[in-house]
Amino acid sequence: MSKVKVEKIKRPEKIGLPFMLDFYPLQDEKYTRISQFFKNLKDGHLTTTKCEKCKEVLWPPRIICPHCHTEDLKWIDLGTEGEVHAFTEITLGAPLGFVEDTPFCTGIVQIGGLLISARIDDVRYEDLKIGDKVRLKIVELPDQRVFFRFSKSKNE
Amino acid sequence: MNQVAIVAGGEAKAGRRAASWRELVQEAGKALFEDVNNLAPKDVDSLFVGAAQPERFAFQSYVAPLVAEHLGIIPRKVIARTELACVSGQAAIRYAWNCVASGMSDIAVAIGVEKMYQPDMAEAQTTMTCVLDREWDGINCFSAPPIFAVTAQRHMYEFGTTQEQMALVSVKNHHYSSLNPIAHLRKEVTIEDVLKSPVVAPPLHLFDCCPMTDGSAGIILVRAEEAKKYTDTPMHLIGSGQCAIGNAVNNLASLTDWVPLRRAAEEAWRTAKISKDDVDIAEVHDCFTISEIMEYEGLGFCEKGRGGKFIEDGEPYIGGKVAVNPSGGIMGCGHPLGATSIYHTFELLKQFRGDVDQGRYVKGAEIGIQHSLSGAANQHSILVCSREPR
Repeated sequence: MSKVKVEKIKRPEKIGLPFMLDFYPLQDEKYTRISQFFKNLKDGHLTTTKCEKCKEVLWPPRIICPHCHTEDLKWIDLGTEGEVHAFTEITLGAPLGFVEDTPFCTGIVQIGGLLISARIDDVRYEDLKIGDKVRLKIVELPDQRVFFRFSKSKNE
Repeated sequence: MNQVAIVAGGEAKAGRRAASWRELVQEAGKALFEDVNNLAPKDVDSLFVGAAQPERFAFQSYVAPLVAEHLGIIPRKVIARTELACVSGQAAIRYAWNCVASGMSDIAVAIGVEKMYQPDMAEAQTTMTCVLDREWDGINCFSAPPIFAVTAQRHMYEFGTTQEQMALVSVKNHHYSSLNPIAHLRKEVTIEDVLKSPVVAPPLHLFDCCPMTDGSAGIILVRAEEAKKYTDTPMHLIGSGQCAIGNAVNNLASLTDWVPLRRAAEEAWRTAKISKDDVDIAEVHDCFTISEIMEYEGLGFCEKGRGGKFIEDGEPYIGGKVAVNPSGGIMGCGHPLGATSIYHTFELLKQFRGDVDQGRYVKGAEIGIQHSLSGAANQHSILVCSREPR
């Protein structure tokens, strides 16, 4: 039988992080109906939606109340002071885009009657405890998208 | 409704396998049809494929027809892939059960598969981290280890559970998996090994966590009245419960009290007409050591907050109050997401047949449960199986 010679072909050596493999939410109003949340963050406020009918504070922010299905929601400010409910530290096993940040703390913060997950910056695991006060921190990505974290309060 | 029985099981060796997604499912499929009499792939009319994340782990969608082709099955009643993260396999069993019970299907296969091991850990973690609410929790790196780490931390804080007690779960399950030839991890560990293993997400150490495992397992379901045509030792599906509450971290019923587990258990006992005390074998979802401790509590095997004491007292060992994870559990056998529930359902069948190593055989067992949870433990699923029809 005759043999066929193997030919080398070219491929790009590196492919950037694909658009939809990014953990940060798309924030612009052409992608989401809660772009107000991100505008508020840009202005320095952590907000969420509250149902005007059943008065439930909803997290994550919604366009429809899951309890009564009304669209009658309003934005409320959650404030800037939270309390650590639980936490851990990411050492091994961070996803793409976060590996460079390790080690960092992440946890559940009690704020405005909610228990929301968030990164807790400027502290190591050993120096944090349940009940610690933490302060809202807002970060901006190079592409101008924003997100919230918390920081161990300096004046504690 | 028809009573339904499981007449056969087949599985691939679990582990870090030199085999692709489709090869794993071929291994399990071959073993499955070798385990049954008078039944060939062409007789199967319905197929359910439990697969959690083949799009990311194997870069393949539309996997049910791919599996049908590879196993020589031509579904003519119902075919679907089922996805419910870590419970994708039990979801497949539930669909198959429903189809046979309703009369829509005569012979159904539920087969699960996952190819978890990848050379790039960060890519694998990226895949896993979109199970929780990606935009609000995943973004904060809440994948499986962190969410169970904070669960463990709160359980320790609220109930005084210790890391040594959690380590005991790992010791027990690695002991049983050392006796299970299909298990991923077959080495015993000590409390000290667990506590000295690298920290993954404090307070969880490496040996508090299940490994990343490749695997596939399948079962065949038929009407109970016809089961003896296919095997001398069928296993009967006699009850189930499933409950999901909330999804994002903020909307969980509680971090330290798994309300959906309690509800699923109540429903399982009610539909099977049994009590928790009738359970001889519990194959439960020990993705992390804290999970099994909370399952002792949620299933009612011990009081709330006393799960650590329960294992300290040796109660979940064979010969104790209830044999928990005599297979070695997820901790020892591994957790190929879509296949896990099916491996552990097949384990119950093997136990009833007496087809396991003597060191992990639960002699005289009549009732077994298979429990799986998913996400932030906001969803729990339980199957109740019996050796005899009831």
